Amino acid sequence: MLKKLLTVRNLVILLAVIALFVVSGLLGLKVPPPHVALAAEPLIHLGSFTITNALLTTWIVMILLIVAALLTTRNYPKDLATAKNSDLVPGGALGNFMEWIIEGLHGFSESVAGKWAARFFPIIMTIFLFIVLSNWVGLIPGVGTIGVFERPENSPVHTYVAHGIVMTAEQAHEGEGVILVPFLRPPATDLNFTLALALVAVVMAQVFGVQAQKLGYFKKFFDRSGFKQGVGMGLIQVFVGLLELVSEFARIISFSFRLFGNVFAGEVLLLVLAFLIPYIISLPFYALEGFVGFIQGFVFFMLALVFFTLATQGHHSEEEHH
Amino acid sequence: MEAEGLKAIASALAIGLGAIGPGVGIGIIGGKAMEAMGRNPEASGNIRTNMILGIVFAESVAIYALVVALLLKFV
Repeated sequence: MLKKLLTVRNLVILLAVIALFVVSGLLGLKVPPPHVALAAEPLIHLGSFTITNALLTTWIVMILLIVAALLTTRNYPKDLATAKNSDLVPGGALGNFMEWIIEGLHGFSESVAGKWAARFFPIIMTIFLFIVLSNWVGLIPGVGTIGVFERPENSPVHTYVAHGIVMTAEQAHEGEGVILVPFLRPPATDLNFTLALALVAVVMAQVFGVQAQKLGYFKKFFDRSGFKQGVGMGLIQVFVGLLELVSEFARIISFSFRLFGNVFAGEVLLLVLAFLIPYIISLPFYALEGFVGFIQGFVFFMLALVFFTLATQGHHSEEEHH
Repeated sequence: MEAEGLKAIASALAIGLGAIGPGVGIGIIGGKAMEAMGRNPEASGNIRTNMILGIVFAESVAIYALVVALLLKFV
């Protein structure tokens, strides 16, 4: 393992990074402490509609996904009913790669959801690809670090002096410094993005529940059947229904804040580590953030799949038991 | 003490104390899953997905603590 890592190329890269570290330290080029903004910064105002930097990045990710989908399916015949099997074989590196991802996760969702997998898969797979790609786009150097300087509106924000186009770590005097407003920002560090995905997942769970069990789906929230066995049992069932209702709303919060918290914390972690020891110490954490970005997408995929499946199943076994 | 300093301590305590429980829980889940995989390596794929699911549910408690910490810090 160690022998494989000790190639000439890796040593050159390591030496270059250390040289960069030493030279920038000698020149006094320090990385400024991060300015952490919870909300995405507005870039363009179109009347009452504001385009934030996170929204801009989201659109770029959407375009990338659409282009990838078009390139993958370009060679497929228009009419699938008359197509031969040999026409549907994916071609090229992109086609094979996409088939590999889709097939693997489709097999997984079939093992969980059974015959409903065909209905669930388009939604959860889109969410998965969207989240993973937007997390990885957020890790590209330049996203979150290239932007325009602005004077902060509220004074207690720590501001720094800019020399030309580079922000330095020199603390600015009152009312003179600038903060950096980046052009692009990882989409999942904006709560609007994650909340939208969470709402889609939770609302679609209700839709699939109604499709599977008709109005019987809502019985799990408002269950009166327990009163047949006395008042105590009935009250317990009403309480259980209330808990189900609350947990449905708690899912929105945990869905959205799980993704937001993980990606936002990762972003802040990278910034703080770059401030503590520039260039070197960020590298392993950079790899970690790439992994976290994938895992969070997979977790969202799997939770949505499990909640959809639970919504379609209902309480049939209990009814037979009574 | 200043209100700003109290706020910083409060948000640090919120996430710091709130992460203890999920940390212990995730450790137990991961350890038990490793044990199960060692006993029955054929089932490791199934165990791994269930492990991630369990970790995610334990983690959501830490997420609630994070929400409180962020609210204290930024709102």
